[in-house]
Amino acid sequence: MLVSVKKVILSSLLSLLVFGLVACSGESETGSDGGSKSEDGKVKLTLWETWTDDTPDTRLLKERVEEFNSSQEEIVIELRGTAHNEYRTKLKTQAAGGELPELFLVWPGAELEPLVEGGVVEPINDVREKYEGELIQATTLDDYAIDGKQYAIPASVSYTSIIYYNKELLAQAGYDKIPDTYKGFKEMIEALKAEGITPILAGNKPKWPLQSVYISTIADRFTGSDYLDKVLNGDEKFTNPKFIESLAVISELKEMGAFNEDINTIDEVEARDDLLKGEGALFLSGSWSTTAILGALPEGMEIGAASFPSVEGGEGNPEVISGISSIGIAINSKLSDDEKAAAKKFLEYFYDEKLYSGLLANGTLVPADVPLPEDASPLFTDVYNITKGGVAPVYDGVLPAELTTIINNGLQGIVTGSITPKELAQQMQDELDNQ
Amino acid sequence: MRLTKKAKRAIMIGLIPALVIYIGFAIIPIVVSFYYSFMEWNGFSEMTFIGLDNYKQLFKDHLFWNSLKNNIYVLIASVGGQISIALAIALLLNRKLKAVKFFRTIGFMPVVLSSVVVSLTWSLIYNVDDGLLNVVLRSIGLENWTMNWLGDENLAMLSVSVTIIWQFIGLYMIIFLAALQNVPKEILEAADIDGASEWTKTWKIIIPTIKNTIFAALVLAISGSLKTFDQIYVMTSGGPNHATEVAAMYMYTKTFESLQFGYGSAISVLIFLFSLAIIIIANKLMGQKAI
Amino acid sequence: MRIKKVTSKRFFIYLILSLFAIANAYPIVWMVLNSLKTADEFALDRIGLPEGFAFQNYIDAWNTANFGSFFVNSLIVSLVSVVITVFLGALAAYFLSRFQFRMSKFIYGFFVFGLLVPVHATLVPMFILMSKLGLLNTHFSLILPYVAFNMPISIFLLVSFMKSFPKDIEESAIMDGAGILKIFWSIILPMTRPAIATVVILSFINNWNEFVFALVLINDPALATLPLGLQNFAGQYETNYVGQMAGLTMALVPILIVYLFLEKELVKGMTAGAVKG
Repeated sequence: MLVSVKKVILSSLLSLLVFGLVACSGESETGSDGGSKSEDGKVKLTLWETWTDDTPDTRLLKERVEEFNSSQEEIVIELRGTAHNEYRTKLKTQAAGGELPELFLVWPGAELEPLVEGGVVEPINDVREKYEGELIQATTLDDYAIDGKQYAIPASVSYTSIIYYNKELLAQAGYDKIPDTYKGFKEMIEALKAEGITPILAGNKPKWPLQSVYISTIADRFTGSDYLDKVLNGDEKFTNPKFIESLAVISELKEMGAFNEDINTIDEVEARDDLLKGEGALFLSGSWSTTAILGALPEGMEIGAASFPSVEGGEGNPEVISGISSIGIAINSKLSDDEKAAAKKFLEYFYDEKLYSGLLANGTLVPADVPLPEDASPLFTDVYNITKGGVAPVYDGVLPAELTTIINNGLQGIVTGSITPKELAQQMQDELDNQ
Repeated sequence: MRLTKKAKRAIMIGLIPALVIYIGFAIIPIVVSFYYSFMEWNGFSEMTFIGLDNYKQLFKDHLFWNSLKNNIYVLIASVGGQISIALAIALLLNRKLKAVKFFRTIGFMPVVLSSVVVSLTWSLIYNVDDGLLNVVLRSIGLENWTMNWLGDENLAMLSVSVTIIWQFIGLYMIIFLAALQNVPKEILEAADIDGASEWTKTWKIIIPTIKNTIFAALVLAISGSLKTFDQIYVMTSGGPNHATEVAAMYMYTKTFESLQFGYGSAISVLIFLFSLAIIIIANKLMGQKAI
Repeated sequence: MRIKKVTSKRFFIYLILSLFAIANAYPIVWMVLNSLKTADEFALDRIGLPEGFAFQNYIDAWNTANFGSFFVNSLIVSLVSVVITVFLGALAAYFLSRFQFRMSKFIYGFFVFGLLVPVHATLVPMFILMSKLGLLNTHFSLILPYVAFNMPISIFLLVSFMKSFPKDIEESAIMDGAGILKIFWSIILPMTRPAIATVVILSFINNWNEFVFALVLINDPALATLPLGLQNFAGQYETNYVGQMAGLTMALVPILIVYLFLEKELVKGMTAGAVKG
């Protein structure tokens, strides 16, 4: 009996194990997730988005979808929201299981590449033609293009590098605006310090701010906007002294005592709150901070906006600011022709002037050429104007994920002093050579 | 107990449902994940078999070893800090005291708290400028002791460990409290009559009786500390510059950010083997035959 | 003299416990206080007391996190999983701890393995498995993994608890001709109450807070659980912290109820069981 108990248990468990392993070792063959005609003959398409928090922008985006649904009879778009921070984990897991929804939000550049390589997203060059040169510049549309194929249309552009400054504190140090040169900028830092004011507030706990907000634009000042592409093609190197110089700006500012001491332990929002509390003079952030600053601005405080100054011997155009498109919706390549046509019809409806003017009115910068509303606040008008000088690439939008991880962590290390700019540049080049 | 035929059948029927669910939904997925560790796969394209390449690369990956070192930090803190403090508190709470229920309840609260709240509140305590810890140190004249608790690469792991100790004391506290109910009152009463001190009773009677549970707590602390993820993820995101990155976090980054599913799986295999080794060693050291 | 010594010792014990209580209460008090601040107040002061009572946060949180339906889903999934885990776990633990048969050590060790499984490594295989079984978008897609992942700790704690019972407990029952399951039900289970209470509390907390499986296995909002909703306060660049604190405060209530309900069981000695009866 003892033997038989053992046998029964063992064999049943073993067969369960084998069955299970066979069952889930391969990819699932099923196509998209529930994309089908619903019983009333409508084409039902599910759209995965990240519009879960309640803001004017997310409300507007959802409204546009509603409007589309009521504008015609044949197509229904169903929204499925996942919080932004978790969205990618969900998308990647379900993609690995071979089950993506019909429509899903994608981010440009390095994030889009594996989806294109895996053939899971549908090119939409015919949709692009309707926008190119009309509503949106070709160069902006290119953010969502890989090898001449367009995969999504952007709804907004995030300019990642804007200096927000407290006018009163700057005036205390004898300045009425941010100097035009980096040399003058450093003098201003010293002047602020002499007044006992923390010069720059930064929150780099999430690791991306120093890279996305600072280096993307600062490095561009030193190296010019085509440098990054050249490095990735092998025509340039991260060990180029110009790039090292740009990393050294962070260590230099740190050594000068320009930053708040808790830079590596607070996040971007906390740093911005500190600006609003008057705890420091400057806060570098993206265009997304404008609305939040205006929303919580204490009475009597005035905030101005400027771009990063030019640097001596820099090869970049000091007018440009790093920026990247977002809120692009991709179409699942496994859809039927009918579904694809329906999806494209939706995209063309969704991305229209009404969406762009609506977002702009909310204080979000858009890729389309639509006029600034007349009642726009002075701060937003400033931001709008300084972003007209051209766009530089954002590092984490272009770099492969591995390199983004290295530079993000390395910049934290430069702040704590555990790594030098030169070492970081070398690490990045080594990683690139390994690939 | 001697077993009859009937008893054996009952055992079989009793064990199989638990085993089936456990194998089906915990073991199979992890075995499949082990299988991925021999693959190169980004989740979007086809997988390719690359043999042991992921492991070879992993052995040279100093960031992985760094993350494992941080796990050991957490492990020492958990085993040393959590279990001893929890046992002490449980022993105190096992007495006839006023408000014992209140202390028990409040002692358990950190366990149920969202890691978001833990992260937000402890970050406020550790902040270098206006954090409670530094403010207190300054106010009692220990200016020199003020530190950038989470921002200093050499201190961050210590600070994070303290938070982890704090959060899970309550877990072991209730496990010990439950076990303490098993200590026979007659023996304690007999010891009282013999005039044994509290100290003697604790060490000679109570601790030996709940030895099994202490060992169980030890195993939980070991396995828990090697799987640590949430608390550190929200508190420091592994920074500054990898200083608080733990293995599970490194695995998560590799899998879902770098899209190296195979490499990520190889990391989890090593985490698994490593914790197994430590538990076996602990088993030997404790002279247990439990596992 | 002796009385004085006892009092000072008592005082010392209360002092330690009070410090411990303050350290543990602070985050909860902080959470509740900040859930009553307005967003602007929170931005300017994260530490101080709220100026008024912004109860609106609770209404917003209820809507943003979709409490209306997610709360019920969480309750269903958590409770069903706990019942299955505890019942199957206790039964298995009984056999593994009170009987000696050849596979018992192996099976016990096999269950303990489960303690070491890093959850994030199983996400992709779990998703594919559920998809093949056709269980995606059902409550089962969460209940089954929750039972499976709570089984190790449950069996582990229960076995270590049951092992410490004196060997002769069942003997007399067997003499009386009681069956194995009868002994389990009327003798072992009542004696194990403190450990079962522990296991129920722990697995309920795990299930109630579980996030990653819910994230990848549930697409249908009608089946989503509360932790998914509680993420909704965070956007790409902004987080509605006051709303989040209000949501987390509300989400804590069921756990507190379960804990307070079972707390007295934790400290019921074995005399409370049926052993002596």
